[in-house]
Amino acid sequence: MVNLVVEHLKYRYPLGNELALEDISFEVKKGEFIGIIGENGSGKSTLCQAIVGLVPNFYKGAYGGKVLVKEIEVAQSDVSEISSYVGIVFQNPFTQITGSKLTVYEEVAFGLENLGIPREEMIKRIEESLKLLRLFEYRHFNPFELSGGQMQRLAIASVIAMKPDILVLDEPTSQLDPQGSEEVFQAIQDLAKNGMTIIIAEHKIEKIASYADKIILLHKGKLVDFDTPEKIFSREDIEEYGIVPPVYTRICKSLNVKNEAGFYPVTLEQVYYELVKVYG
Amino acid sequence: MRYLSLYQEGNSLLHKIDPITKLLFVIIAILVPIIINTLTMALAFFIISTLLVFVARAFKRTLPIISFSSLVIITVLFIQGLFYLKNQTPFFTLGPFVFYKEGLLYATGIAIRIFNIINAVAVLIFTTKPSDLIEALVKKGVSPKIGYVFSSVLQIIPQMMSIVDTILDAQKARGLETEGSFTKRAKAFIPLIGPAVLNSLISTKERAMALEVRGFNSKKKKTFLNEVPYNKYSNVLQVALIAILVFSIIWRIISW
Amino acid sequence: MNNKKSMWSFRFSTAQLVLIPAAVGINYVGKLFAGILKLPLWLDSIGTVLASMLAGPIIGALSGATNNIIYGLTADPISLVYALTSIAIGLTAGILAYKGWFDNWIKAFVSGLIIALVATLVSTPLNIQFWGGQTGNIWGDSVFAFLMAKKFPIFLASFADEIIVDLPDKVITVLISFAIFKSLPKQLISIYTDDHKIEKL
Ligand SMILES: Nc1ncnc2c1ncn2[C@@H]1O[C@H](COP(=O)(O)OP(=O)(O)OP(=O)(O)O)[C@@H](O)[C@H]1O
Ligand SMILES: [Mg+2]
Repeated sequence: MVNLVVEHLKYRYPLGNELALEDISFEVKKGEFIGIIGENGSGKSTLCQAIVGLVPNFYKGAYGGKVLVKEIEVAQSDVSEISSYVGIVFQNPFTQITGSKLTVYEEVAFGLENLGIPREEMIKRIEESLKLLRLFEYRHFNPFELSGGQMQRLAIASVIAMKPDILVLDEPTSQLDPQGSEEVFQAIQDLAKNGMTIIIAEHKIEKIASYADKIILLHKGKLVDFDTPEKIFSREDIEEYGIVPPVYTRICKSLNVKNEAGFYPVTLEQVYYELVKVYG
Repeated sequence: MRYLSLYQEGNSLLHKIDPITKLLFVIIAILVPIIINTLTMALAFFIISTLLVFVARAFKRTLPIISFSSLVIITVLFIQGLFYLKNQTPFFTLGPFVFYKEGLLYATGIAIRIFNIINAVAVLIFTTKPSDLIEALVKKGVSPKIGYVFSSVLQIIPQMMSIVDTILDAQKARGLETEGSFTKRAKAFIPLIGPAVLNSLISTKERAMALEVRGFNSKKKKTFLNEVPYNKYSNVLQVALIAILVFSIIWRIISW
Repeated sequence: MNNKKSMWSFRFSTAQLVLIPAAVGINYVGKLFAGILKLPLWLDSIGTVLASMLAGPIIGALSGATNNIIYGLTADPISLVYALTSIAIGLTAGILAYKGWFDNWIKAFVSGLIIALVATLVSTPLNIQFWGGQTGNIWGDSVFAFLMAKKFPIFLASFADEIIVDLPDKVITVLISFAIFKSLPKQLISIYTDDHKIEKL
């Protein structure tokens, strides 16, 4: 089932001279794990924000094409309406804390109160998402007392509680220490296993390689390719887009180890699988 | 400190009264002595609010606030005692200075009014969680957005205090001088405030987006996680307080 | 500063609304740094003036009001009544910004003078009502005592008391706010103005 359709999406920021997104089209199916990669300024954040309607509704600017979530055109709807279909988590854990709630528990309630969710349902959802993100034991903490990784998981919990079908994450671990990053990736993996559609912009190539079903490669606002990690990282011209392929891909490339389809493996498991095939 | 608040847990009678009633009391304790501008009225409210401070068991914690204003009050006593325009009747002399009865009385009136305001506000802030007050106001129909602004300020200010330390250390490490001559100190101001401003403005952008995707602009009728127990006396009290205000306005108009 | 739409709109964008707590925080930090550097000024309304320059008089006024209400309820109750002064500062700065009175240093300086004057005119009656005309500042109050001794009318004595304190403080506050405003990235400034429309590509 198709969950998200992007058609000929074009966008320019109010003070921008060039298009930040240029004729982007792709489709995402329910339960897919999609990675967005590209060098700095290639448009990853802009695309993430376009999926939830912040582009164009928050910034204004010039917009063309369509983003359809469950057949709803996001640019034509309120960002708050879209929030029960698709949620987004940003880079900075601090700025995503609303700042108006005194406990982790109430923080998750913020969005639900705004959407007018009845109290019983609210409590059910808060506890569910706190448990899912392994934050239930911190429910009485002040959100600002949490570590970076916990704060970022709180941001995810707050979004998940609004029951979106798709979760967009824009470099959710770029401001976290290694332990915090690991916690967050673990949480994202758990969500993916639960059937959540995940779209994540990420510089950490190894992570994308091992989790993503498909990868969107952006360059200067254009969609260069949309395919499996093996195919994307096997591209001969991949480094021209500022992408260094995962270490296993590079090793396999130098050893010329390919899979049946003729692409380089991207994860340790895949390398192992190919090697077992060859050497038994 | 995570949260700017003077609230202290307690079980005084005033802790049990709902926030809106206490807020109404503060407004009335400030306004009525202005509307009916007599010393008697000021004294009456001063006595009430002082009694309430004791009922709230907040006297000790009100003292620092009072002593802060008391310094100014002392200069008011001096200046008005000496120079009040209607001064006529010498009251006592202190060396070369003659203090007059009219000025001292006027200054006493000022002191009573100031202490009345402080005590009335103290009753509210020492017995009410700010978050409860804000939520009560929102439930009464104040825009949830205004509610958000107030509750977030209470957490943002402590956040910014930690930014202050970070910036101060960083700029000192880069050789910024924060001591010494006046010009040196004055020159240090912009390099200190500049990063703090930029930092907080950049966060507003991300926070605004985070709020929007969490239904901040939703047109649905808001629901609440916290249920505030309904106090059956609060309506009576509130009506009584509003009646006092209305009555004082009518009184003022009639006796004009 | 260049919101061509009406400056009196009460429909705020989220970014404008979130600017209010930030402005109060900036006010607070300004006051803190002025204290740390032992400067003889308050510098506690930089945030309010910046909010007015960025998002107009209403947001500026709301920032000022919020500032004093919060300060009044957490530190000094009397500052509640001076919310009126803060509102006036926010409104004046916002109107001046809208009318282009922050285009260069000279205009900004004149704006500072106007804002100081307005702040003084609003504070003076409050000082008279609540403090018999004093400000609590040693220098200002000395002048007040001197003028009272010379039998000047109370309003004039109180006005002098206030303006001695306000004039340097507000002019410098406005100039600092202007300097900061000029250094802000254009992209950041643009999120607080709501004259943009979505253009079709
Ligand atoms: N608010 C804005 N106004 C104008 N131009 C912008 C704005 N935000 C981003 N841009 C521009 O749009 C382009 C795409 O930016 P975007 O932030 O989407 O890139 P990104 O791939 O997320 O980069 P990074 O890896 O650094 O996060 C860049 O050229 C950037 O300069
Ligand atoms: Mg980005």
